Order: sequence, then C-alpha cells, then structure tokens
Amino acid sequence: MDESTKRLLQRLMRRIPTQMLRTTLDKWGRLTGEQLQSMDFTQSKWALTEKLLAICEENELAVKHITELEMIYIIDNPNQGMWYAFQLMDPEDDAHSVELTQFKEQFKSHLRELIRHVSVKIKKHTDEAVWIRIAWGDTFSRPNHMKPTYVVHSLQTPYVFVTSLTSKQKPLLSQALVLSARYQAIKDANLSGRKLTAIRDLLMRQYHQVFPTRYPTPLAENNQTVSNQHIEREQAVPAANRLQAAYEAFGGGMLPQLQSAVYKLETKFRDHSNKTMTEREEPFRCVVKFASTNLLESLRHCASSGIASTPVTPLLSSIPLKGKNYFVITDNGPGPSSQMRQPQN
Amino acid sequence: MEKHHNSVTRTPLNSVVVQRRSKSKSYRLSYRSCLGAASRLGLTPALTARRLNTSRRAPKPHNITEKVDAEQLTLLVKTEWQLSYVTPLYQFRHTQLKSYSRQLSAFIAAEKQQGMAVEVEGPQKTFRVSFSLVQGLTESDDDAETVLVQIYSKPLFARQDEPQKPVWSGWLTCINGNPEYLGSLPKDFICLPLFGSSGAEGLTTLVKSWFQQSFDCCFGPLEISHTSLQWLMALWTNCHNEYSIQHLKMIWTLPAVPPLQVTYTVNSEDAWELWGSVRKGNRGGGGGGGGGEEAEEESSIDIEEVRRFMQGLQSHFYRHFRLDLSAGSLNQVSTALGSAKYSGRIKISNSRYMITTLTLLTECALLKMPI
Repeated sequence: MDESTKRLLQRLMRRIPTQMLRTTLDKWGRLTGEQLQSMDFTQSKWALTEKLLAICEENELAVKHITELEMIYIIDNPNQGMWYAFQLMDPEDDAHSVELTQFKEQFKSHLRELIRHVSVKIKKHTDEAVWIRIAWGDTFSRPNHMKPTYVVHSLQTPYVFVTSLTSKQKPLLSQALVLSARYQAIKDANLSGRKLTAIRDLLMRQYHQVFPTRYPTPLAENNQTVSNQHIEREQAVPAANRLQAAYEAFGGGMLPQLQSAVYKLETKFRDHSNKTMTEREEPFRCVVKFASTNLLESLRHCASSGIASTPVTPLLSSIPLKGKNYFVITDNGPGPSSQMRQPQN
Repeated sequence: MEKHHNSVTRTPLNSVVVQRRSKSKSYRLSYRSCLGAASRLGLTPALTARRLNTSRRAPKPHNITEKVDAEQLTLLVKTEWQLSYVTPLYQFRHTQLKSYSRQLSAFIAAEKQQGMAVEVEGPQKTFRVSFSLVQGLTESDDDAETVLVQIYSKPLFARQDEPQKPVWSGWLTCINGNPEYLGSLPKDFICLPLFGSSGAEGLTTLVKSWFQQSFDCCFGPLEISHTSLQWLMALWTNCHNEYSIQHLKMIWTLPAVPPLQVTYTVNSEDAWELWGSVRKGNRGGGGGGGGGEEAEEESSIDIEEVRRFMQGLQSHFYRHFRLDLSAGSLNQVSTALGSAKYSGRIKISNSRYMITTLTLLTECALLKMPI
C-alpha cells in the first residue's frame, strides 16, 4: 500500500466511530473471519488503525478497496456534510425506462470523456437509490480520493442529491448526469440540508403528493398545563383552528429534519404609517434565514401556538409543499427560482 | 447648564439616599436619585424607576486616532468583550499602575498554588501582568481615564525579547458618565463602571477577585437590554452615510419547540433609507441631511425614532411571514461597526464610532449598579 492509500485509510478510520467499526468492516467483507476476530475493538482508535493497516497490507488491498469501505460507511451514515438537491428537467422519451446497468455504463463513459483522470464507483443501494462516488483528478494529476463527491439518484425520479461538489466540478457532473439519465437539463432544486434522509423525504413526499387536505384530529398534547377553565373554554375554538391550520400547512406526525430555510426578499416596503418608504420605487432588500434543529416542527409549532398568524403564509408553507428551502421573493411575476407573491397590506 | 443634549426622564424615581458603609463615612447619592428633581422632594418611589436616556446625541466620527495611541486601539477593537458593571473603586490611583501589576501577578501566582481553577498548560507557567493607561479614551472632563489590563503567560525560561500575545485582556472605562453622579462620589472613589474582559474564565474570576479585595468594589454581569440593542442598531445605522455599515443584521430567537432562530439581514442602503424616513421631521431618506446647518438640528436622536425604526423592520417581516418577531427575543445586532449580544458581549469593529457605543454601555453599567 502506498503512502496516499495509507493516509486515506487513516483518515477514514478517524471518521468512523468505534461502535460502527465492526459492522462496517463486516459489510466490507475484505477481511477474513480470522482477521476480523483478531481485531480488539476495545483498544484505542489509533491502535485499531495500525492493526487494520497491517491486515490490509497482508491482503494486498489497494485504493479501490479502501474507497469501497468509505462508500459503505457513508451510505449507512448519510446525514453528514451538506447535501444539495438538484432536479433533472425535460425527460427524453426513454428517460423512464433507463435501467441500472445502462445508467452506470453511460455515466462512467460520459464522465471519462469530459475529464481524463476520474475515479467513479457506482453502487445500488437497497431502496432503489444509486450511489455514485467520484474522485476528481485533472489532466495532469491523479484522482484525489481525499475529497470525493457523492451523488445519490433514484432512477425513477428526477431528483439528484449531491455533496462536496466544487463549482468547477459542477458542470462536468451535470453534463454526465443529464446524458446518462436521458434528460435535457438539470437545475438547482433550491433545497439543502445536513440530513440526506430529511431532504430526500421532503422532496419525495412532494413527488408522491401525500398531503392530507384535512387533518382528522389534532395530536393530543400529553403535558398540557391545566389552566383556568374560562381561558380554556374561550380559547378552545381558536386553538383548535390554529392547530388545524398548522397541520394542514406542514403535515402531521414526524417531519423531515430540515435545519434551515433562506428567503431573499426583494419586495417593496409597504406600511401605511410610513409614507416615505411606501412611495419608494426600489425594493427593500433583505435576507431572512430561519434555523432550528428541526425547522418544520418549529414552524408548525409557531403556527399552532399563535406566534405565526394563521392561515400560514404561502412563503412558509412552500417549504414542505414545494420541497425547497431557498427562495427569492419579488413583487412581480415568477422568476427562474422565485415565487410569485402579492403583497398584502 | 447642561453640558450634553441628553434629556432625562422625569418620572418620579427612587429617592433613596444611601449611606455607604465605607471608610470615608460620607453620604453619597444613589445614581437613580441623581436623575430627577422629583427625587429631592422625597416622593414615594415609583415602580418603574430606572430608565436609559430617552434621547442621545447622534454619533459623529471621533478622530479618536488623534487622541488615543493606535496600538492600544488595535487591542480594543475587533475583539469580543464580555461586559460587567463595577461599583466605584476605593483609592484606585492611576499613578500606581506598576504596583498593581506586581500585586495582581503575585495574587494570581498565590491562587494558582492554592489550586484555583486556572487553565495552565504545565507547571512552569507564570503570568506577567501589565496595567496600562489608555490615555485619551474619555469624553467628558469627569470621566476617569481608561485602564487596560493584560495578562501574558510567561514560560519560565523565555527570552526577554520574545514577543508575547496576552492570554487575557480586560479594561475599565467610563465614557460620558453622568456628571451629577460622578460629582456626588466622595473624594477617594474612582468610577470606572464598565468592565470588559476577554480570555479564560478562570483568569477573569481571579482579576475580579483581586479588584474586589483591593478596592472594595463589586462586579456584576451586564446584559445589553432589548432597548440598548435597539439603540445600537439605530446609532450604527445612523452612521451609514459617513461609513458604510455594510449590512444590518439582527438575530432573534422565537420560543417554538424546538427553538427557532431568525437571522434578519437588511441591505445597508435600505436600512439607511428606512432610518431616514422615521427621523423627526422626516428628512427624506438616503443622502438627505448632509448640509452643515441641518447637521446641528439632527444631532439628537430620540427613543421614539428608534422604536419606529424597529417597528418598520418588524412590520416588513410580518407582512411576508406573518410571524410576530416581538413574540421572541432579540439576541444579537451587528453591522460593520460592531456587534452586540444580549448576553453582554460586545465587539467594536471600528474605532471611529467607539465613543458613542461606549457611552451607551457606560450608561447601562451605571444604571445596573446596585447603588
């Protein structure tokens, strides 16, 4: 094993938490039963790394095997790094009948045509998702395995999720994807997050349109503080209405864990108490970012508790409805990635 | 005759005259009692007593680099400081700074031996303390000179000429302190009510203990209240035509489950225009009041204008998101001139408008002091 391969393995070992090590190595299948037994998982990570390095030398493993291991780990733990969603546009006639082997071959050959030194690994995961690992090189240097790009694509959908892609690499990847998946274009879906599962759920739900139009009963809150009877009676109907509106806008049950949403506002300032600003022609430019450990739950709670007025504004309900978390809002007409908005006074 | 344009609230205030149990056995007026004539009539204390000034002078760029040593200024700007208030110091002498440096060094060494929680990276570390005077960082004649304290870590066998970065810094200052209050202090007391520190928490505690022991004073945490944060927003935005603030950023926290953080960043030009539109007399937006004669009239900013500014920003937000920001709390305000957090952390990024910011903070410190 050469130096760079060793470094790759060392870095990978630092990344994998000890408790996942055994299962991951097991899935990898490159260690014999004996070798796996010989690893003492109670030792320090450093000691384990040394042991594993020795075993890999013994088995004469190469870079491609180590990248296999990395891929297995990432597929099982996809909720790290930043994932960005893209959408393939304008399918060709045969887009829906593209099957796995065809896609694999086409993707590899297209990418290799575009860039000479590139290392591509494609793996089909159990749930119809195709995982692609790309290590990029250029005309003069070999692929850099330390900064691979990961791509996830479900063949029957137009959605693609990508992590660790630089702006130079983006057009190359886009081209290869579009050609091999048999579409005409690819665009930014304006959705990003740390948890692949969350953004995928968000988009796929939209795709399958499983939004209830009327939520049957609001979820009972278990730890409700018993308060004044009069207040309860008075507030019963408005509270129920708010809850209804909240669930209609965001859905019920567990919500996908989005971390943030960004709105770029370029609308005019309108406030009847401020004549100067209202008469102004230019838009009032600002950027609003919402952040939370679970953004959709926070927003739903804002609606049900009255912090947000109901009915929920389309700006917020667009997040689950359109599966986006980046919006550019202007006063006039829809732009390429903007949403039509009629400002109300 | 009032030296400053500050107008002061006239609600009846606590008219407590406090006798300080101190060595000088003299009477000293409480800060609050200085704030209104009504107090001298001995009216019953009102519930909402303490208020910040409701209007203050608009910030002008102070050519502070002419007054203060540039090197010292660089130490103060671009660092985030944690603020506390300090009660007046008894028999603190600006002429004894060298002696204080030695005393504090010895104090830290002694406490370390006792096993106090100071982060040390090895048994051989000692600390070198330096007290210095930041001359020129004052505004009125009553203000005491700012004192800067720095603690360097000194490895035992270091060469003399090795340049060292301080591991802890702190300062005490009083900018535009209320003249009545300062005048009412007995002779031996120096008032430096605003304390800022940056560095290990353990060292901060030690420094505070030493001050408390040596000068019979008291430290306490200083939060930057919602009103003060609004003031800073307005004061900083007001500077935009002279020095670009680049953006006006506010960070709010809404009490949802889980908590929702909202970062609302406004384009600097638009913030400036909005600010101009809420000024009294509505002097248009943008480059409106540039003339010399107008400048004098504009020199005072009222709390109402500040409130209207905030109101405008909140209502623009509400129109889009139907989320009421006032249901949550404002945690942080920042522009290119600096950033301020509710928790009492302040960063001044540019020395030009430093005096105004420190004036506001000095006022907050004086108000928060218990006596």
